[in-house]
Amino acid sequence: MTSAVTIPRHGGTGGRTAVAARARQVVKAYGSGETRVVALDHVDVDIVRGQFTAIMGPSGSGKSTLMHCLAGLDTVTGGQIYLDDTEITGLKDKKLTQLRRDRIGFIFQAFNLLPTLNAIENITLPMDIAGRKPDRAWLDRVVETVGLAGRLKHRPTQLSGGQQQRVAVARALAARPEIIFGDEPTGNLDSRAGAEVLGFLRRSVDELGQTIVMVTHDPVAASYADRVLYLADGRIVDEMHQPTADQVLDRMKDFDARGRTS
Amino acid sequence: MTVLKTSLRNFLAHKGRMALSATAVLLSVAFVCGTLVFTDTMNTTFDKLFQATSSDVTVSAKGSSDSGETTSRTGKPPVVPASVLGRIRGAEGVRSAEGTVFSTSATVVDADKDKLSPSSGAPTIVGSWNGNDARTMEITSGTAPKGPDQVMVDADTADKHDLKLGDEIGVITAVGTHHARVSGVAAFKVTNPGAAIFYLDKKTAQRTLVGATGVYTNVNVTAAKGVTDEQLKKNVVAALGHGYKVQTAKEVAEANQKDVQSILNVMKYAMLGFAGIAFLVGIFLIINTFSMLVAQRTREIGLMRAIGSSRKQINRSVLVEALLLGVLGSVLGVGAGVGIAIGLMKLMGLMDMHLSTDDLTVAWTTPALGLLLGVVVTVLAAYLPARRAGKVSPMAALRDAGAPADARAGAVRAVIGLLLTAAGGGSLYAAAGADEAKAGSGWLGLGVLLTLIGFVVIGPLLAAGLVRVLGAVILRIFGPVGRMAERNALRNPRRTGATGAALMIGLALVACLSVVGSSMVASATDQLDKTVGTDFIVQDDNGKEIVPQAVEAIKKTPGLERVTEYRLLDATLTTPDGTVSKGESINAADPTYAQDLRTKTVAGDLADAYKPDSMSVFEGFAGKHGIKLGSTVAVDFADGRTARLTVRAITSDDVVIDKGAMYTSIATAARYVPADRMPLDDLVFATAADGREAGAYKALKAALHDDFPQYTVRDQTDYKQALKDQIGQLLNMIYGLLALAIIVAVLGVVNTLALSVVERTREIGLMRAIGLSRRQLRRMIRLESVVIAVFGALLGLGLGMGWGATAQKLLALEGLKVLEIPWPTITGVFIGSAFVGLFAALVPAFRAGRMNVLNAIATD
Repeated sequence: MTSAVTIPRHGGTGGRTAVAARARQVVKAYGSGETRVVALDHVDVDIVRGQFTAIMGPSGSGKSTLMHCLAGLDTVTGGQIYLDDTEITGLKDKKLTQLRRDRIGFIFQAFNLLPTLNAIENITLPMDIAGRKPDRAWLDRVVETVGLAGRLKHRPTQLSGGQQQRVAVARALAARPEIIFGDEPTGNLDSRAGAEVLGFLRRSVDELGQTIVMVTHDPVAASYADRVLYLADGRIVDEMHQPTADQVLDRMKDFDARGRTS
Repeated sequence: MTVLKTSLRNFLAHKGRMALSATAVLLSVAFVCGTLVFTDTMNTTFDKLFQATSSDVTVSAKGSSDSGETTSRTGKPPVVPASVLGRIRGAEGVRSAEGTVFSTSATVVDADKDKLSPSSGAPTIVGSWNGNDARTMEITSGTAPKGPDQVMVDADTADKHDLKLGDEIGVITAVGTHHARVSGVAAFKVTNPGAAIFYLDKKTAQRTLVGATGVYTNVNVTAAKGVTDEQLKKNVVAALGHGYKVQTAKEVAEANQKDVQSILNVMKYAMLGFAGIAFLVGIFLIINTFSMLVAQRTREIGLMRAIGSSRKQINRSVLVEALLLGVLGSVLGVGAGVGIAIGLMKLMGLMDMHLSTDDLTVAWTTPALGLLLGVVVTVLAAYLPARRAGKVSPMAALRDAGAPADARAGAVRAVIGLLLTAAGGGSLYAAAGADEAKAGSGWLGLGVLLTLIGFVVIGPLLAAGLVRVLGAVILRIFGPVGRMAERNALRNPRRTGATGAALMIGLALVACLSVVGSSMVASATDQLDKTVGTDFIVQDDNGKEIVPQAVEAIKKTPGLERVTEYRLLDATLTTPDGTVSKGESINAADPTYAQDLRTKTVAGDLADAYKPDSMSVFEGFAGKHGIKLGSTVAVDFADGRTARLTVRAITSDDVVIDKGAMYTSIATAARYVPADRMPLDDLVFATAADGREAGAYKALKAALHDDFPQYTVRDQTDYKQALKDQIGQLLNMIYGLLALAIIVAVLGVVNTLALSVVERTREIGLMRAIGLSRRQLRRMIRLESVVIAVFGALLGLGLGMGWGATAQKLLALEGLKVLEIPWPTITGVFIGSAFVGLFAALVPAFRAGRMNVLNAIATD
């Protein structure tokens, strides 16, 4: 059994539990019989509210699958996943869609924005879809935080890659989701633009109390997190708190070495 | 070779995306082939029939028509005396000669006074049972007719009207009404497409149809062994002299065939025309498909270019794909065409037209033409997208596959489109203002063509504008989903424009024809109200003349103030300027006709034209030949002598009813045309005494119904309704044929949406990930579809109403004075198009909803 479970604490705000999302004995397998491939092998994970969690691991370790399962984008073969107190495993598409819309934010590696909508329309899209009015003050703050005030009327094609990702971050933040999932959000950016985006994510955790889970293979990106989970062969093999880039890099090298010797 | 291989692989890889284009090609080719097979089969059927039914040589009276139609406007067939029989028999090479009597002017009714004539418009033939018939027909029950009270009927008619041996039938002719009982039923050995045939014995036929014995309408001559038909004809002519019409079997068949052919050709070319429209619409669909495939494959094409493919090769590979599509669609289309032909034959069967699949004729030219058309059209349509593919730079392989660069409609395109539209508008304006129909119709045709092309060219620009308006009006209600639908429709205006334009073509024609049709009804109604002073009009349902007994019956009807007879006589006119005008018609009527139809005159009083040896001419004729009041015109009646008539009135050309008529009185005509050659009435008008209209109408109906069911009496209200129904029926038929083009256009909408959904897989995935529900997604696609369809409908209806209004202005010269826009039809089409949009989105929306979110995101 692999585990990255923290001792449950009760947080001080809103009576919510201190754990924003948890996975219990999650199995994700593809195919059957001889060709069965296990992407997640009985994974237990707690995502702590108000923390920035990074999930790392080599290609094929199952890190993206874990994120997709936690975010309700993918179904699991076994085990349970909870978002706050809601079990999302077994929910029908309609409920899952609502859940994603109202309680989860996403930042993908690329193709985050609808080319037909301008920046501000993209940012408010999840709320528009839900038929909710965005909280004006909050929206302004988010826009200001990600530094997009002058470009709100621009279409995605008129924005640089870094700006596009910042719009995606703003969109994820604007709806005040319980949790934001990022899938290599800086994977397509140069280091400066990447640092900018990661800075915003960090600030949103520190200043806005946002919970963020990010899949990455970049040690520098991981160093912005409060906690790093390491996945290998569908299991959680290690975790690290308050990491630095060097620590993460060393740990990764360590895995690589072990991978080669074993 | 590699080109072919990549093309083939691409074709197979995208077979789903090609399916709708292939269907469009299939439908158009099928319609072309179906039309050809159907008309060829009809030809074969008639050919066989005419071959079988004519004897070696036929002798008939000089006045009878070439095709042996034994009818004339006197209600009695032209005849030859029995004495010719002996002279023919005496000719060399004659084995036998038999005199027969036939007429196509009789009406046959059953005991319930129901007509036994075919509803298909095929003739009702009453004739004597003779040896020639005995060869081509087989008596399936009962016996051949013998004696005055027996009649034999053909099997199809017996079957349809459920006639049994012993049933009573009545034969109504100008001679009188003859009653007989069914003695037998005979079936054709070849296919009889629809004529109803009744046989009497020779004497009875002579008495019933001609009213005299010792005369024949035809003499069927059979050649002795070794004598050709041509030789026989020569011998017969030598024996008879030139006073008779002598034709070989071949000549009769050809003459018959010519009559049939002219009708079939109208049908054939009309249907091919509609197939052409469907092809035109299909072109848009094919262009869209290939444009989208090329856009989706930009990176792939870039890679091919990067590794060394030449532009030409890329270009050719796309064209080869089009070729494959064209061949596949056409081959299936040819097969489906035969199916359509068989379907049409069955449909004809429902309308009393019997065709046998044994006669199914597929000439080699039919599949050849179908294939050629399908392939050429497909490859031509794919040419532009192929060229665009060739222009893809090798750099495209490295770039992100973003939105296609041609999102903005080019300025050049806009200028060309606007110029074309303006030129078209100018032509239409010229057509509307033309004061001569011929010149005007040229302008109209040019205007229609130019505005159509112009609209197609500026379609993308219009799309950008109109979709925004539609968005503001309709889509607002649907909130963000509506907004996204609007943006999606606007994303590639060229695609939206082309998809909408395809729908536009069909709907423009619908709108144009409906405007012209309802203007016709409105104008005619208006004219009827203004000029017609009679209450009732009596007509034959098949456009035949009215027998004298019926006219007597009408005259005896109580409650009538006056009855006017009206007939047409053929004549050759010699005018004071010395010109001889052949083939003119003289409208002979009772003097009361001047009250029944208040035709305006430019000179004289029309009532005077009915005085003895007087006539009227129309303005145009008078002007052309320098005729003034008092001029004398020599009228050489085709069926009589030459009369010298004085012109006492000149009628205005600004009329609708009886335009170009030249009136005289029946009494005048009767002085120059012998009674036995005087045509019967074409129309009879009756006017009720004041206050007795309702009663008289009822009485007239009753009088005709019992004894003369072939005639219908209508008052003005019913006449207008009949006119409206007639035009409505014609329009419905045309709409039915246009449905093909509209179906292809709807396929185009489905195609565009389906390909757009594929193209936007990642976007859809993203939207689903951030919380767009399936229902919202489906609604978004449906709304996009509705917007495209409504856009097409707006263009089409606008354009079509413009065309229709112009046509009306032009046709005002021909009396189409009133412009009436049929708003119910227009609104119906508009609302219908929105539903078409919904319908077209069904499958694409369903498939988009079913898309797996993760796969969608992962798609590169």
